[in-house]
Order: sequence, then C-alpha cells, then structure tokens
Amino acid sequence: MIEVDRLTKDYGTVVAVRDVSFRVGKGEIVGFLGPNGAGKSTTMRILVGFLGATSGTVTVAGHDIVDDSLEARRAIGYMPESAPLYMEMRVREYLTFRAAVKKVSRGERKSAVDRAMSLAVVTEMADTVIGHLSKGYRQRVGLADALVANPPLLILDEPTAGLDPNQIREVRRVIRNLGENHTILLSTHILSEVETTCDRAIVIDRGRLVAEGSIAELRARRRAEGGVITVRGDREKSLAAVEGIDGVRRVTAKKADTDGLWRLTLALSKGTTDVGPVLEAAVGALVGAGLAVREAGPSRATLEDVFAELTRAEPEASDPAEAES
Amino acid sequence: MSGALAIFRRELLGLWVTPLAWVMLVVFLLIQGLSFYSIVVHVSSMTSASIDSGPVQAYFGQSIFLLVSLLLVCPALTMRVFAEERKSGTIEALLTAPVTPLGVVLGKYLATLATYVAMWLPTLLYILILRNTGQVDWRVVGSSYLGVLGVGAGYLAVGTLMSAMTKSQLTAFVLTMLVIFGLFILGIGEYVFDAGMLRDLSAHVSVLSQMDEMAKGVVDLRRLVFDGSLVVFPLFVTVRVVDSWRWG
Repeated sequence: MIEVDRLTKDYGTVVAVRDVSFRVGKGEIVGFLGPNGAGKSTTMRILVGFLGATSGTVTVAGHDIVDDSLEARRAIGYMPESAPLYMEMRVREYLTFRAAVKKVSRGERKSAVDRAMSLAVVTEMADTVIGHLSKGYRQRVGLADALVANPPLLILDEPTAGLDPNQIREVRRVIRNLGENHTILLSTHILSEVETTCDRAIVIDRGRLVAEGSIAELRARRRAEGGVITVRGDREKSLAAVEGIDGVRRVTAKKADTDGLWRLTLALSKGTTDVGPVLEAAVGALVGAGLAVREAGPSRATLEDVFAELTRAEPEASDPAEAES
Repeated sequence: MSGALAIFRRELLGLWVTPLAWVMLVVFLLIQGLSFYSIVVHVSSMTSASIDSGPVQAYFGQSIFLLVSLLLVCPALTMRVFAEERKSGTIEALLTAPVTPLGVVLGKYLATLATYVAMWLPTLLYILILRNTGQVDWRVVGSSYLGVLGVGAGYLAVGTLMSAMTKSQLTAFVLTMLVIFGLFILGIGEYVFDAGMLRDLSAHVSVLSQMDEMAKGVVDLRRLVFDGSLVVFPLFVTVRVVDSWRWG
C-alpha cells in the first residue's frame, strides 16, 4: 500500500528525515513511532504529498506521490496533526465540502458524510459549528474528514494527541474498527498506543529508522526476562533463600515503597527461557524460610524500555562530535 | 474542476458567514451612496450639461470615491484567502485533497470576484433612480460596469497573490493596497510626463483614464487586455507560489 524508498528531507541546515525506507502492506495497522521532533510529521507530510522529498521515492497504492500525485492522493485519507478545521463551518457542512473536494459524486455525498460521521462517532454534533466543539470532538471530525471519501489508506498524524483518557480509548476503539477495512498508518510518541492498536511498528529517531517489526519482534529485542517478588521480612534471609535456586543468575533486593517490604529482582541464568518454574521454586523457598510473599510475577520489559534503548544508543554512534562536547 | 467549484462555494460561505463581507458591504455602499448623492446634487444645480457629462459619467468616470472604495474593498476581500489557511493550518488538509493548485487558486479567486460583483449590485438602484427622472443610456451603463469589473478583477488577482505570499492577513492587506496605489500613481504619470514612451505607458495603465473612457461608452480593447493580464499574471504566479510550498 505504501512503499517508501530511501527517503530524505533536507531543510537546508536541518536534515529532518535521512534515508528512510519501509513498506506498509494492505490491511495492516502500522504504528509510526518516535519521540517528538523525530521526523514523524515530516515523513507523513511527504507521504501525503504536502511536502516534497529532497531525494527518494514514495509510492502510494501503486501511484508515485510526485508524478501521479492526484491519483495517489485519492487513495489517502489524511488527518494532519491537531486536525486543523474551518472553525466557522458546521460539522456537516465541512464534511460535505471535504467530500466534494475529494471527488465524491454529488449523489453519494450525503450518505458518505453520514457514514463518516457515524464511524467517527460525531453524528450528534452534525449541526454544531466546529469552533464550538471540544478538542476531542474536533479530533474526531478530523477523523471523519479522513474517512469521508472511503479511501483504502488512512494516514493519521497523532490521532490521540491532546485528548483525555476516555477520549483516547474511544478514538483507539474507532481506529481498531476501521482497521478491518482500511490500511492504517498512525504516528504517535506513546508506546502503549502502538501496543493496543497496531500490528506492527516502525520506530524513527532523529530522522533515522531505528527499528521495524511486529510488536512481538520489538519486544524480543529486550534483555532476558526475569522475575520480581515482593516479600516482607529480613533482607539477608530472603536473598539467601533465593540465591541457590536453579536458573537464577543474580538476585538484587531494593526497599519497596511500603515500609518493611523488599523487592527482589531475579535475573535468569543463560539457557533458562521460562521464568514460571523459577518463580514457583523461589516463592517456595522464601515461604520455607519463614518470609511472607506479597507479590510475585515475571518482569516483562515494556516497549518503553525497548524504545528508550533504541533511541538512546543511536546518537553516540552516529555523532561523535556531540558526544565530546 | 469539481474540486474548484467546492472550494469556490466554501470560500463564499467563509466570506459571508463572518462579519467581514458585511462590514465591507456597508462601508462600500456608504462611500458609493455619498458619491452618488453629491454628484446628483451637483448635476441638478447645473443649468446646462453636455451629452457626456451626465451623472452616470461623473459617478463612474470622474469620482475619486470609486477608487478609494476599490482601494479598501479589494485588499479586504482577498487578504484572508491564503494567509488565514496557512496560519491556522487548514491549508494542509486542502492541499492534500486531490485538487490541483490551479483549482485551489481559481476557486478562491472566483469567490472573491463573485463577492465583489455582489457588492456592486445594489448600485444598480442608482441607475434606476436616474431613469425615473430622466433618460439613461444603457450601453454607457454597460460599459461602465464592464470597466468596474475589469479594474476590480485585476486588483483582486493582485490581492490573491499577496495573500499567498504571507501568513499575515494584515501584511497581505497592506501589500495589496500598496500595489493598487502604485498602479494609480503610475497612471497619474499621464499628466506629469512629457509626450513620449513614459507618458504612453502611464496612460495605458491609468485607471483614471480607463474609467473616464468607459464611463463615456468607449470600450477600448487595449484596456480590457491590460485588465486581463492583471488577472492572469498574478494568478499564474499564485499557482506557482502554492506549488512551491511543497519545497519549503
């Protein structure tokens, strides 16, 4: 659906995107991930034909975004960052205008607008002036705008930015549902968003692509799994109880937030893949030693850890001058 | 071109649901009304008048009020067309829709032109008032309105270009005013320079001479070609400017 080949965007002094290549297949929901200022919006603006690339090519639905721009743009429903809208128009007026600009035929406009409004859950605001809507509703009107011509591909730039938790959940649910019939590329700097809505993620930092893969693949990049056990009792005693267990490489104890409690972090030895049996043995040993176990479970590195690792390692390797200063 | 038509209709709505167009209409009609009233009072006190110095000729051809109102109205109508969209960011949604830059520019420009024409419509009442008390030569009326349309169309195209050059509506307004005023001053050269190329040039672009001629029923093709080029050239540049934003 989207093919990006060696894309570079150079703003004169600043290189916003360097040599980025990726593909988005039909029917996928792909998260485009990166910290603020990583080049997400710039890349998306190039994908939708709003900006030109310095070098490299973008093909959308088989059409080159520069040479065959109109056809490529017809395949895209784009929601710009913070969904800019005409404040003086009513929701229905605005969407009808957008449908006309996107070449939805006159006879189908009304049904297209109704459909988009119901998918984006803004039907009850159809006759409200956009300037009077809350941020959450405006964001959803922007989503309805992207949907109105029923394009096969949706490109959404930070669709949940600036929303409250309930609205975020609502928008994510809408996006999930849309994924059944559309290919979706959405950008975000929030990792849990990718975990809950996307099949695959592309991670970008300082204009470079630093990782790409399914959510499980990205998670697999983290260090070996371990376990965390919270106990009440003597620190030395608990450490001694766990240390001898098969499969445990190292144990560390830290004071927990509540007084009298210790958090034991277990690192697994090489070759041990399943943390379950190790935890069972550890809990057994602790209870046997007369300690009270409050909580036990595997420590699963979140995507946040992976992300922090990926985006932190990069600059030192690529920019020695910066490391010196 | 269905995209351009949709943009045209939205621009009209954008102009008329906000107070701007109405304020402009009031100011414009106030100036025109004053102009017309003073001319009628003046003409009615004259004991004799030649055939080409009636109230219609004076109203369209000799009144400075007409130029002042164009100097205010044209920049005000066009200042927002691109500047506002670029400031608020809506331009991003507009330019990523499957419309060509030409379609965007034409849709927006024609909406300001239609509004301009709508502002002139009430002045037809003045002509009807004159007809009730005397004779009106409809061909002269026709050529006068053609002149007003030609001059305004050029100014609006200049304003559209200026609005595309800046994100500030105020800057667009001032720049447009400066260009219109510059053209007017150049036209004054007709009465300043000695006979020669400079004077010919000044006479050619002079809005004063153009309106004077057309208010007398003289339709010179060269005038219309000049007006036309003042429409086409700025709009052409505007299309290039809109296209160039991709490379910013």
